[in-house]
Amino acid sequence: MTSIAATQPPPPQPSSLSHTEWEKKIDNIRPSKSDMNALVMNYLIIGGYPSAAMKFAQEANINPQIDLESINRRNQICTSIYEGNMQSAIEMINDWEPDLLQTHPRLHFALLRLQLIELIRASMSANGDIQPALSFAETYLAPRAPQYPEFLKDLEHTMALLCFPPDQLSPPLAKLMDPDMRKHVAAMVNEAILSHQEVLPEAKVRSLVRLRAWVEAKAAQSESERLRNIPHLELGLVAPRTENGGPAI
Amino acid sequence: MAATWASIVSGDLSRPRISSSASGLRGQRNSSSANLSDLSSQASRYHSSALSSAFNTLSKISQLPTSVPSYLEDSLYCERLVAARCPPSNPAGLLARNPSLTSLALVAQARGAGLKLDVKDSQITEDDVPTPLPTKWNDKDKSGGIDVSQDGLDVQFLGPNKVNEYDSAAVRSDHHMPRSCGVYYYEVTIMNKSREGLIGVGFCAGDVILNRLPGWEPFSWGYHGDDGKSFCCTGIGKPYGPQFNSKDVIGCGVNFRTNTAFFTRNGHLLGTAFRDLPTDKKLYPAVGMKKPGEHIRVNFGQEEFNFDIDDYMKTERLRACQDIDDTPVDKLCPPLEEAALIQSLIASYLQHDGFVETAKAFQQDLQAEQNALESGKPGSAKPIELMEDKDALRRQNIRAAILDGNIDKALKLTQTYYPQVLLRNEQINFRLRCRKFIEMMRQSAELSNGSHKKATPASSSGSANKGRTFETYEEDEDIEMVGDDGGTRSDWDMDGDDEDYGDGDDNDHLSQNDMLERLLEYGQQMQRDFRDKPELQEEMEEVFSLWAYPDPMSSPVAHLLSIDGRTIVAEALNSAILVSLGKSSKAPLERLIQQTTVLLRELGEDGGSAAFINLHNWINSVDCLPSA
Repeated sequence: MTSIAATQPPPPQPSSLSHTEWEKKIDNIRPSKSDMNALVMNYLIIGGYPSAAMKFAQEANINPQIDLESINRRNQICTSIYEGNMQSAIEMINDWEPDLLQTHPRLHFALLRLQLIELIRASMSANGDIQPALSFAETYLAPRAPQYPEFLKDLEHTMALLCFPPDQLSPPLAKLMDPDMRKHVAAMVNEAILSHQEVLPEAKVRSLVRLRAWVEAKAAQSESERLRNIPHLELGLVAPRTENGGPAI
Repeated sequence: MAATWASIVSGDLSRPRISSSASGLRGQRNSSSANLSDLSSQASRYHSSALSSAFNTLSKISQLPTSVPSYLEDSLYCERLVAARCPPSNPAGLLARNPSLTSLALVAQARGAGLKLDVKDSQITEDDVPTPLPTKWNDKDKSGGIDVSQDGLDVQFLGPNKVNEYDSAAVRSDHHMPRSCGVYYYEVTIMNKSREGLIGVGFCAGDVILNRLPGWEPFSWGYHGDDGKSFCCTGIGKPYGPQFNSKDVIGCGVNFRTNTAFFTRNGHLLGTAFRDLPTDKKLYPAVGMKKPGEHIRVNFGQEEFNFDIDDYMKTERLRACQDIDDTPVDKLCPPLEEAALIQSLIASYLQHDGFVETAKAFQQDLQAEQNALESGKPGSAKPIELMEDKDALRRQNIRAAILDGNIDKALKLTQTYYPQVLLRNEQINFRLRCRKFIEMMRQSAELSNGSHKKATPASSSGSANKGRTFETYEEDEDIEMVGDDGGTRSDWDMDGDDEDYGDGDDNDHLSQNDMLERLLEYGQQMQRDFRDKPELQEEMEEVFSLWAYPDPMSSPVAHLLSIDGRTIVAEALNSAILVSLGKSSKAPLERLIQQTTVLLRELGEDGGSAAFINLHNWINSVDCLPSA
């Protein structure tokens, strides 16, 4: 490699840069710390991480008047959803934003369906009774099902859970029982509340990550050889296990 | 999701409006109407250390136009243009926008507050100066039969009445249309036309002969007023639009994402005229005419356009945003999916930059989330490992010491925990010593000014150095540095007595003379230590020049004493320590921003969709920190 480079001086306008040259270009960019702190703060607030947001406001010396109440309330609602306690989540939402669920029928349906899933989960335990699940579906979900075609499908899909023993669920059904389902609904609720309160509901860092993926993909598809030849640029993240497991110095 | 990205590029397009009655989180600021001074300040924050621009770059900068068309105001292209035109020699402009500590530090850096950190790496290079926009018709790039007015905007046909049937007269603009604009657009007003209206509006490559109307030659494209046809590099036109009338405003736009061109007439889009424009040719706006009396006037963006090009641009931006929102991120850092990747980015940033308490709290919040999720499955709740980053804690102590002005403490801590860092980084060692000198000077100045403050406890003088080599000590891994002076001494900084570096009390008892004596000793020691480093002499002399003034605080070099300088030293040392630990000196989140910035710029040069995205505007514009 080096001998070739030595004998053949690089052309004045090299069509592709070496990895080091790219790294150097990248190092020349100096994002400001306050911008990055703002990104982090924004993420902690939007994501609803109350203690981290509070600490960060102190440590980074950012706007001390953060609306902790909003973060806390969203966090409590999401926590209830994570725990499968849909009843209390719905109550808290109605307490705070009485018209939110009325104006977001899909969100409301998603919450009720998750509640049904939790009731079915309870019925699957040793001497579970499926009656509560059935009557809940009948009272709350069935009347809403005709509203949108996908509601009916979702409801039927969910009711199918009752037909199989918990350890013999097909993958799409098992997905309904997965904690990710709760996470998904909690994220929907968080987003809806933020939008309702006229705050941009998506953390900036999330868009940033997508933008990063997008520029890389665009470069790879580019007509220009120089851009196509951009090497893979590492973020410098190491697998958490090794990072945490490694010795501190 | 397009909404999010829309707000990124447009600042406000689909961002939810802020109502004053919203009780919860509220966006605070909406700086979508980016005016030039805003842009300049934003841009310069990213070029803030580029003090000395290269001469050849300067000459190019001087050609840059003084105004930017409204449809390009939010663009990265424009930001770079402004950044290149006004190198941040005016820190006041920087302050106006964001007077946070961090930007203060950057200003200090820009001023070269005693420490010239890596200036050579971040000069404005030829790379950073974008191609200027067309501003006028080029009087030196026209056919003989045409007259260009003094201001370069009006063009009239002068040539003889009887000409060869094929002969006409055309003119090109002074600059080509930069691909990095994403879209370029200009308009001409038909001031007067001949009976036939033989006027052609379009664009062509720089080497196309100019005695033909645009569109009739290879690498030339045009829309002709006599027959309303569009001509694509050939003498045979295709029916396209209406014929021109006097006072018509004809617009011409090139979309570098789609490599197509369109025309407008009196504010109405006439549709795509040309496709598959070459990507490797520099294209210049061009007009041509053939009959006496024909007269047009161009608007290269110095006035408002008839056509709503801003809206066209917005549509392009939205499209790019939609595209971005649909991009999966799972290939970025496998096996992490989006949520996990973001959590890792945030957590590593907090650790890296020493936000220890926040890092802990974040882990706890994540753990709480995890516990709640797993609560349905008893016994399966797996703990998120709560690791205390020892290293981050130590770095934080060192940084805090420097920010306090306690350089000796920082030096000792560094030597104890990272002995290699000072040995291997002469520059940083030197800067810490300079800073130590500056802190002593500050203290002395404060003493003499009668402001007997304890605020800057620069303590033990370190004057009686026994040598400039560092001896590393075999230390117990568990020693606690703070408040414990036992067993941590080194030859670096010992006066022989038990002076406590963590406590500045001694200096309160020092008389001014003692202080000055110590300063002198310290200065001499520094001179001895760095005698054989010619590259450091200039900086050292600058620092020593503080001596020359009876009241350094009000001297011409008073900026050296500014506490902002501490941040710079602290950052430099922090980075050096990280490097010595084999980690990148940048947090992954920071690298992500850097990489995105560079890639966006490179892609934008190409004229693709990336030209419609301005990352800096976005980070700075939507300030979503809500207030109580």
